[in-house]
Amino acid sequence: MTSHDFTIAVYLLIVAIGVGLEIRSSSERSRIPSLGAVFSRVMRTRSGRVGIMAGWVWLGLHFFAR
Amino acid sequence: MQESPALRASRREDPVQRTIVVAILLLAGFFDGISGNPIHSILLFGAAGSLVWDAARHRSADRVVEVPTVRPMRPTKGFATIAVLGVLVFAIVVGGFARYSWPMTFSVVIPAVLVLVIARPGSIRSGPEPEKIGPVGIVAWTSVFLALALWELTSLLLQPTLTTDSYAHPTISVMTDPILASHLGRTVALVAWAALGWFLVER
Repeated sequence: MTSHDFTIAVYLLIVAIGVGLEIRSSSERSRIPSLGAVFSRVMRTRSGRVGIMAGWVWLGLHFFAR
Repeated sequence: MQESPALRASRREDPVQRTIVVAILLLAGFFDGISGNPIHSILLFGAAGSLVWDAARHRSADRVVEVPTVRPMRPTKGFATIAVLGVLVFAIVVGGFARYSWPMTFSVVIPAVLVLVIARPGSIRSGPEPEKIGPVGIVAWTSVFLALALWELTSLLLQPTLTTDSYAHPTISVMTDPILASHLGRTVALVAWAALGWFLVER
């Protein structure tokens, strides 16, 4: 396995764990909240809201803008 | 209608959370700055600065700041349909612009500012209190995002220089370059970005 393959494999593993948590959260007895619930909770405060929205704007700038 | 003290307390600003958010914004701004993206860095430093300024402004009055609430938007079906079609047209047209060009930059910055105005970071949406996140949930999701951030940072630092891409250690940006090189790829990515913004704005 090359460094390139290993790097991508780790990214995929992290994404797979995130997807797994999201699926797990759909169970009624699960102690894992959905990602939507986490964002809702974090954005109840000013700092959470500013941080998350700044992150969203940054994504657009980073991938598209100068 | 009068809100319960427990509900109001849950919306109060936590100094620890604010410190963590400011630290993340400053770190991201620093690394973006030394990676040759001064404008993006300014955005992140600006967001961190606004929180620090806000904390300093309220420190003398009350260490725990309560955030004002506004009503959530309730778009009609017709408005929602027009909004979705508008986003699709926007993504198809703007997706035709080259990345990092001025037309693309303006086309991304203008809707971003609009969404920020709608989101009004200085306020939160009224309505039912979202479920409380237990320690298991906090650890689980924090671990995922922390792992992603650390692996991205590792790949960035393993590049020949911070501004030179590496095939052996690709960052997310490097991996998405081939996708965003095409009109279709940029269009899909712009729709996803807009959808994420809409998802977040009413949280």
